[in-house]
This record gives sequence, C-alpha cells and structure tokens, in this order.
Amino acid sequence: MFRTTIRRAIRLTAGPALALALATAALAHHGWSGYDASKPVNVTGTIKEAGYEHPHGYVRLEVPGKVWVVTLAPPSRMENRGLSSAMLKAGTSATVMGYPSRTDPNEMRAEWIAIDGKTTQLR
Amino acid sequence: MHPPEGPAWLVAIETSGFAAAMRHWLWLYPIVEIVHILGFVLLVGAAVMFDLRLLGISPRIPVSDLARHLLPWSRIGLGLVAPSGLAMFSAHATEWIENPAFWLKLSLIVLAGLNAWIFHRWTFRSVATWDRQVAAPAAARASAVASLALWVGVVTCGRLLAYL
Repeated sequence: MFRTTIRRAIRLTAGPALALALATAALAHHGWSGYDASKPVNVTGTIKEAGYEHPHGYVRLEVPGKVWVVTLAPPSRMENRGLSSAMLKAGTSATVMGYPSRTDPNEMRAEWIAIDGKTTQLR
Repeated sequence: MHPPEGPAWLVAIETSGFAAAMRHWLWLYPIVEIVHILGFVLLVGAAVMFDLRLLGISPRIPVSDLARHLLPWSRIGLGLVAPSGLAMFSAHATEWIENPAFWLKLSLIVLAGLNAWIFHRWTFRSVATWDRQVAAPAAARASAVASLALWVGVVTCGRLLAYL
C-alpha cells in the first residue's frame, strides 16, 4: 500500500521535477555557473568603492585600463573568515583571483582576495 | 551593486532604514531567509499534500479531515512568507522590479490564490459526496494539478530571482 503510494507520487512528480531541474540548470546565472571558470583572472588594483552587503559584498577595483566590479561573498562569510568591512576601504590595494561573468564583461566573481598580505577564500 | 534608481516609491523603500539594515546587518538577511523557507515549507508543503490527496493518493483519508488539518498550517505558513518576502524585497526593490522572475512569481502567487479561492468557494462544497474512497471530481483534480504546477513555479521563480 505504502509502496504503491510512493510509486504513484513519483509518477506524478517526476515530470515536473525533471523539467524544473533542466530549467534551473539552463538559467543558472548568479551562482558560480554564471562565471567562466576556464578563464581565471588575476589582477591587482585599487579599491574605488566597496559594499559590505547582502546578498554579496563587492568592490570596484581599478586596474590599469579598467574598473572591475568584483563580486565577493556574503558579509557574514567574509566576517567569519576575517575579512572585515574596514579592510575593504576605498584606496586600499587588493589582489583578486576570480572568473569573468558570462554576461557582463566588467564583472567577475572572486575566488579569493588578498589585502595587506592576507588572503581570504570567498567560495 | 544595483544603484537605488527607479520609481520614487521603490527608491524610498530601498533607502529606508529597515532596507539598509537588511543589507548591512550581518545576520538579519539570513534569518529572514530562514523564516521565508520555513513559511513556504508549511504553505507549499500543505498545498502539495492536499493536492496529492485530491489526485487519488491515500484515498482512505477523508478529504474534509485533511483540509481541516492542513489549512491552519498553510495559514501560518502564509503569515511567515509574506512579511519575510516583503523584507527581502525592500533590500533590492529597484533591482527586483526589473527582474522578470519577480513579476512571474507575483503573477503565479495571484493565480495560486485564485485557484485555491475558486476551489473552496465552489468545488469543495460537494466534498461530502467524494470525501473518501472515490475519485474527486474533475474540477477538484484540475485544481490540484494547477496548484502543484503554480506552487512549483512560485518556488522556482523565487530561487531564480538570485540567478537572473
């Protein structure tokens, strides 16, 4: 009886669940899949502006010839790993390794950020 | 990163002290997200269980008993999702208003509400004749299929808000 119920439930829900999984995979953008991990970027520059905000912190990093918008981690994670908001002040020099956005040529998501010789993993 | 630019009322919401707290307090945003998740676990979970019963699963459970059991829980769920959803909206009001997933989600919520209202207003009235062991009428089954599809859509759009 119970097994029949489960089988019926699976039959009723399998189609929508599969469609949902495929749609999600195709549309994924903002998580790591929206960034091209095959083209890692490693740059050093000066922080012009920083946001220690949910859902993700960010810095505008000026490097020769370009200003990257670097997406960081949620502030709670950065705080946990010792990257305080005070360390992201404008004018500070920072090195980041990250992956460029597949849609916005000026944005990247940082795997790590190094400030004053201290590297913080952001994933 | 999205600047607070757009319709004045949205800018006012996004630049309010509460919205700023949502963005800047370390744990407020995650807590509100947790409340939102608990809320839709109750709301959507109750709806899915009821829909499956209408579609013929566990036919020995009287539909009216199941409705009496689940409805209060889905109301509690609604009481959690609505304020937490508004709180998250306030933090990115001008950004979300431009997000197609946001508009689709709102539309699907309206349709899901309408579907539930129609079901309770008309279809459910005759429940005594199909309470247990017999198939629910076509209208009830259609409303169950619609409800399942709509709620899956709502949850999908909610999650995709962060990815589009």
